[in-house]
Amino acid sequence: MPKLIKERVPTPERPPEERVRDFNEVNLGYTFELAKQEAERCLQCPVEYAPCIKGCPVHINIPAFIAKIKEGDVKGALRIIWNDNTLPAITGRVCPQEDQCEGACVVGKVGTAVNIGKLERFVADYAREHGIEDELLQEFARECSEKKGKVAVVGAGPAGLTCAGELAKMGYRVTIFEALHKPGGVLAYGIPEFRLPKEILDHELDKLKRLGVEIKTDHLVGRTVTIEELLGEYDAVFIGTGAGTPRLLNIPGILLGRIYSANEFLTRVNLMKAYEFPEYDTPIHVGEKVVVIGAGNTAMDAARSALRLGADVTIAYRRGREDMTARIEEIHHAEEEGVKFEFFLNPVEFIGDENGRVKAVKFEKMRPLEERDRKGKRKIVGTGEYVTLEATTVIIAIGLEPNKIITETPGLKTNPNGTLVVDENLMTSIPGVFAGGDAIRGEATVILAMGDGKRAAKAICDYIEKKAKAEA
Amino acid sequence: MGYKITAKADLSPIDYFVEVEAPHVAKAWKPGQFVVFIVHEKGERVPMSVYKAENGRIGMFIRKLGKTSLQLYYEYSVGDELWSFVGPLGKPIKVKNYGNVVFASDAVCGQAENYATLKAMKEAGNYTISIQSFENKANVYPEEFLAKPVADEHYITTDDGSVGIKGNYLDVVKELIEKDRVDIIFAGGKLGTLAKLAELTRPYGIPTITTVRQIMVDGTGMCGSCRILYGNEIKFACRDGPMFDAHKVDWADVLKRAERFKEQEQLAKERYLEELRARGVI
Ligand SMILES: Cc1cc2nc3c(=O)[nH]c(=O)nc-3n(C[C@H](O)[C@H](O)[C@H](O)COP(=O)(O)OP(=O)(O)OC[C@H]3O[C@@H](n4cnc5c(N)ncnc54)[C@H](O)[C@@H]3O)c2cc1C
Ligand SMILES: Cc1cc2nc3c(=O)[nH]c(=O)nc-3n(C[C@H](O)[C@H](O)[C@H](O)COP(=O)(O)OP(=O)(O)OC[C@H]3O[C@@H](n4cnc5c(N)ncnc54)[C@H](O)[C@@H]3O)c2cc1C
Ligand code: SF4
Ligand code: FES
Repeated sequence: MPKLIKERVPTPERPPEERVRDFNEVNLGYTFELAKQEAERCLQCPVEYAPCIKGCPVHINIPAFIAKIKEGDVKGALRIIWNDNTLPAITGRVCPQEDQCEGACVVGKVGTAVNIGKLERFVADYAREHGIEDELLQEFARECSEKKGKVAVVGAGPAGLTCAGELAKMGYRVTIFEALHKPGGVLAYGIPEFRLPKEILDHELDKLKRLGVEIKTDHLVGRTVTIEELLGEYDAVFIGTGAGTPRLLNIPGILLGRIYSANEFLTRVNLMKAYEFPEYDTPIHVGEKVVVIGAGNTAMDAARSALRLGADVTIAYRRGREDMTARIEEIHHAEEEGVKFEFFLNPVEFIGDENGRVKAVKFEKMRPLEERDRKGKRKIVGTGEYVTLEATTVIIAIGLEPNKIITETPGLKTNPNGTLVVDENLMTSIPGVFAGGDAIRGEATVILAMGDGKRAAKAICDYIEKKAKAEA
Repeated sequence: MGYKITAKADLSPIDYFVEVEAPHVAKAWKPGQFVVFIVHEKGERVPMSVYKAENGRIGMFIRKLGKTSLQLYYEYSVGDELWSFVGPLGKPIKVKNYGNVVFASDAVCGQAENYATLKAMKEAGNYTISIQSFENKANVYPEEFLAKPVADEHYITTDDGSVGIKGNYLDVVKELIEKDRVDIIFAGGKLGTLAKLAELTRPYGIPTITTVRQIMVDGTGMCGSCRILYGNEIKFACRDGPMFDAHKVDWADVLKRAERFKEQEQLAKERYLEELRARGVI
């Protein structure tokens, strides 16, 4: 039994005063030495028991990869991670580990949990920077030479990218159809560079291309080409179109200028690089006071981006602090950087100026009850008291719904909330058409989307093989 | 991979024509739908109506308005490539036999749609009436770019009466309505005129379908930038439109939202014009 080291080895971070001035990454990650030190803290729970594995939505063999880090064998560690997760540089950065692997880790019962997320990220980054990934990739690419069939993937978010990668590894010819000009889904347009540098994403995309996956950007399926047409040309289709439609508040003043959905704001800033306007052509305006409504990752990302554009930023949330859904690390970072938080405020009206632009938000103060809702959050009621916050810009981050264009496909069944209906093999109501990620779950997480992509790839493989046998 | 420019021409001192090779779009395009392009890597996503979709190519009418449209005009020629080109976006209009179909337009995007819509309507057996309004004689497009060939009746109006009928398409529409010659009217062009058109046809209950242009980012229903109030519901112009029943649109809000980025756009344009002057392009 190794000695228990209660406190985790910290990862270096750039100081808040420095990082709020640019969009570069906040957390710098472990060095080789620090990673080994942190790896020492893992108690190496037996695989059949290890709570971290159970806590991981795709069941990465965490103690095994950590053991490899201890030995200094990064390639071995990467091979283990890749068994279950081909995008560790991304998940290591964006997974809500505190609710998953780290939340379950036994070390966390007496001290702070093993920093599994940052170790995962270390393996990916180190392997990429030292050519180790290349070696492994070549091994995989060799296995991809055999062509078994053709699959179309709709949407280049984590679900689609994972499904495509897995299928390519199994020997299928895969084409991804992506509506935007850049693949990545939320990773490209939503999550800002200071959390996930575009370089990392680009590298992952490159990896896929090296496995032979073709990515057709500028193709909106349902408009440029239909599912039916894809089925005519491909043996199967995977839909990973995400939950890309913003929910807006249906309250007076919603059409005023400078009220953005978080998606619009983040797309302008991130994908279109509006923070470099007019060097880049897409404009954005924040003014002095930004109010962000919501308390998830999207709200944190929007708030911290607005901060970097020079604004004074307040997050207003209708519930209490403990009910915020963002990753703990993001909430901490936001606080450190100077984002202010107001709780128990429910927006009821946007107030505009003479130019049709927002100038303030009126909120009703809310009061928590003892009673809890189905999700375990305390119920809230209005108090009849109102407050007004000044705002030159408002960003609404209260959630997303599945993108509607794909759901117009004839024969494609949806649930009342707009998500696609799938069976236990992730097959939709149209034979040969599979789906996963936010498109079937509503707003979920990167790792769950990847897990679906992977499961769907296996199901698609079975489906095509069965079909081929039936036809033979 | 880029999208090659295959033709380019002046339409008037303020508008020009560009044709781009985009087979994936041309194959699927139907009247009423639009495209979004990005000129270069640092460019903005710009929505554009379609004039023609033929032989894998998309023709567009563009006004020299701000940085993007000026840059495309001055710096890109036949053979050059656009960085991104996606479409068709939005919903097609319902093409069927309505009887007498009018298309009226008084600005560049409407002029493009005037041709595209009436062509489809004529093929569906309608009697087609086109009204194309321009500020003055100099701004009238060359004959080959007018909607004349696809219209059973074709009118030109100019604000100053220098050619065609003096006035705006609203004046002609009014007359046609009084003569009971309008079964359905489609219109595009200036938002302000569209708002007036909605009021003109409302008392007669004439179906009035107009483009509702809003500032867009993705054009796929992902960002909500293009939202409008439509019969008290929030709709996205890119996904649910861009052609809407004009009588249900809250025009006051549409007009306000179109002005959202005025200062920034002005800044970008000034800077760009300065650059062009410094380089001796203009
Ligand atoms: C701002 C923000 C921050 C987040 N932060 C985190 C985080 O820190 N950790 C975490 O785990 N999760 C986070 N999430 C959630 C996470 O990003 C999503 O759960 C995940 O991206 C879902 O993956 P997906 O592949 O299902 O869909 P998406 O990532 O949404 O990708 C869908 C793709 O499909 C494309 N598409 C849509 N319709 C069509 C069509 N008809 N034809 C062609 N292409 C189409 C879209 O353009 C997009 O590229 C965040 C979400 C947001 C918005
Ligand atoms: C469905 C649709 C169809 C259109 N069809 C045509 C057309 O056929 N011909 C044409 O010349 N123009 C058309 N437009 C308008 C065109 O997109 C804008 O004129 C163009 O973006 C201007 O870019 P700019 O950089 O030259 O000017 P900017 O300086 O960026 O803007 C000038 C003005 O253009 C409008 N505008 C700017 N950006 C956008 C945007 N992203 N989306 C919509 N409007 C914007 C604003 O009203 C702004 O005040 C269409 C717009 C929509 C939404
Ligand atoms: S639960 Fe914690 S200590 Fe146990 S194997 Fe997993 S990471 Fe190591
Ligand atoms: S332009 Fe983004 S939703 Fe319409």
